[in-house]
Amino acid sequence: MFNWDNKKLSKAILFISIFATPQIVWSQDAGYYGLGEPATKSEIAGWDIDVRPDGQGLPEGSGSVSHGEELYDAKCASCHGAFGEGEGRWPKLAGGMGTLNKAKPDKTVGSYWPYASTLWDYIHRAMPFTAPQSLTADETYSLTAYVLYLNGIVEEDFELTHDNFTQIEMPNKDGFYVDDRPDVKNPACMENCKDPKTIKITSAIKGITPLDHVSQKQKSNKKNSSEHDAQNSNKQEELSKESSINIGRDIYGNSCAICHGQGVAGAPKFGEKLAWESRITKGLEILKQHALEGYTGESGVMPAKGGNPSLTEQEINAAVSYMIESIH
Amino acid sequence: MKKLSGNTKDLLREIKAEAADMPVLERRNFLLRGLQLTAGTAFAMSAARVMASDSSLPPNVPIWTKSLGRGVVSEPYGKPSRYEDDVIRRTVSWLTATPQSSISMTPIHEMKGIITPSGLVFERYHAGLPDVNPDEHRLMIHGMVKNPITLTMEDLMRFPSESVIHFLECPANGGMEWHGTQMEALQFTHGMLSCCEWTGVKLSTILDEVGISPDAKWVLAEGADGATMTRSIPIEKALDDTLVVYAQNGEKLRPEQGYPVRLFNPGWEGNTSIKWLRRLEVGDKPWYQREETSKYTDLMPDGKARKFSFIQEGNSVITSPCPERPMLKKGVHELEGIAWSGRGTIKRVDVSFDGGVSWRQAKLKGLVLPKAITRFSLEINWQGEPLLLQSRSIDDSGYVQPTLAQLKSVRGSNSIYHKNSIHTWKLDTDGTVSNVQLG
Repeated sequence: MFNWDNKKLSKAILFISIFATPQIVWSQDAGYYGLGEPATKSEIAGWDIDVRPDGQGLPEGSGSVSHGEELYDAKCASCHGAFGEGEGRWPKLAGGMGTLNKAKPDKTVGSYWPYASTLWDYIHRAMPFTAPQSLTADETYSLTAYVLYLNGIVEEDFELTHDNFTQIEMPNKDGFYVDDRPDVKNPACMENCKDPKTIKITSAIKGITPLDHVSQKQKSNKKNSSEHDAQNSNKQEELSKESSINIGRDIYGNSCAICHGQGVAGAPKFGEKLAWESRITKGLEILKQHALEGYTGESGVMPAKGGNPSLTEQEINAAVSYMIESIH
Repeated sequence: MKKLSGNTKDLLREIKAEAADMPVLERRNFLLRGLQLTAGTAFAMSAARVMASDSSLPPNVPIWTKSLGRGVVSEPYGKPSRYEDDVIRRTVSWLTATPQSSISMTPIHEMKGIITPSGLVFERYHAGLPDVNPDEHRLMIHGMVKNPITLTMEDLMRFPSESVIHFLECPANGGMEWHGTQMEALQFTHGMLSCCEWTGVKLSTILDEVGISPDAKWVLAEGADGATMTRSIPIEKALDDTLVVYAQNGEKLRPEQGYPVRLFNPGWEGNTSIKWLRRLEVGDKPWYQREETSKYTDLMPDGKARKFSFIQEGNSVITSPCPERPMLKKGVHELEGIAWSGRGTIKRVDVSFDGGVSWRQAKLKGLVLPKAITRFSLEINWQGEPLLLQSRSIDDSGYVQPTLAQLKSVRGSNSIYHKNSIHTWKLDTDGTVSNVQLG
């Protein structure tokens, strides 16, 4: 039983009777819910960064091919290659004209992208990969001009401006049409759908997908308690042996490789003896301290914890050790 | 990492295959002897220890029955059993230049029913996973609207909400195999796929609230991640079933899925469902952003490309058996699989055992919902014969999942995205399953 006295109970009933019947809503006009705050012009200006092919959203400014080249060499070439050819699996920016209908099409800014506005917009919003939204409007004009130049779309002495922007015509501007699927019709045959003799098998390319988990699963199909104890103690041993290397490798891959993989922003390149020698002579402790707290040197800047504040000191140390052990 | 040499692996496989038909006790002893033969690897040693013990099996009583377990809230947010630690997302590292702009796959070979647990939903980032503070996050709606506004998360959650169950799939799912098989396991061939309950506000409700211009034709959605990922969404879709979502499977969105708020376009390619949503701009034309020109367009053999290829067409795959789930014994098995279509509801799934010469209708199981994963099954009595297993879905629009040859006859091999063709598993006499394509 509740132990309320009558006074409290009657108050409670009164409360319910006043507030239990809200008005019912029948229609909905703009502002009906009255939720949120009006977005002010300056708030919108700070976030509205998109640029359309017709030039809507393009800010005032200008930039030259030659200035673009300087910026490109400093901020872009380490991933995209000195001539836009793309390092490793990083995107290729230039070339590939006339390859779209070939067996190996080369989809670059020049050969594939339909609008220059996309280039300006994307550089400005998302590049460089490690420092998005760090470029000014003028720098973005310059870099856009340079990538267009790498593709032979503008001349060496070209200056791209707010006013001449929409005159840029991309080679593949007419290369797209709106999705027209469904494009095939399967009759859903049920019997004698093809001659069994005509069936040929293209076999799988072996050994290029990670499959350790598949073979392990199949080997230990019957499980019981001591299996897991055994597995567990085994796991512990393995962990202590390999943990430092594994953690270091994972941290490197997730946080360090962006710059150190290609030598971006003056970072010593992974595995490259020459780049690391002078650093190593300073001693492991100094290297770890720089990685942890950040460091500004002659060739570039090392952000504290590689710009990933969620990493622990132990993880940073493991990553530094991994990188040093990988020098050859 | 433990790695068996190729020879040891083969040996173990042979031993297991030979043991398949033996009675339990005999099999265990046989396997033990086999493993001792391959001793010298850490793996074999631990596996031997594993199989040697049966102290928990009847008539013995296991340790967990003869002791007291953990108390409540010893794990305030529960996790799967430690014995399920191989049910995880995985990636194929050579696919991308960096893990910040990459993808991982859902272990769909381990999934049951139609709901994907939030922590196993595949990841796709264009600039890594941002750590967004919901109190400092805002959703701005502006452009061709009467009242441009910014919403806090609290504001957003005061709008009337809806919950729906829909699949979410990357258009590159299966796209590595236009030129031939490359992926040796189901997780990698079809794992850029998930299905969750999503809760949020209909975008049409929010657009009504700000009042859109009669000339509005498109909405640009933009994320708050380092890529400020963007896509242009046609107003017809925005006013139809697009949701602004803040919860998934009964709890707030996971960071990997766009915490605290994302767009959700049912049935459409996953990248249009912008995560960490910060801005919606209403306009009269599409913006032709990088992710709708350079990427997520489908190159055809004539050198022209399809743009705004939003729909994820009807698809299906057999999930058991599959390379991760081989047939370990002869006898009756429930063959299972999943089917899904961005156009609507799965109406029928057919299964072939002979590489598409003849087909049998499978049974649809459990919930059959529009634009959701639908489970199908068929009981088979397998006596060790080699099979070429295929499944073929049909949705309520009448769309029949095509063969790869049919797709390639129109699209060639360079379109990367939207490869929804009938998939073939080769089941060998020893029960192993591999990924093949038929010519």
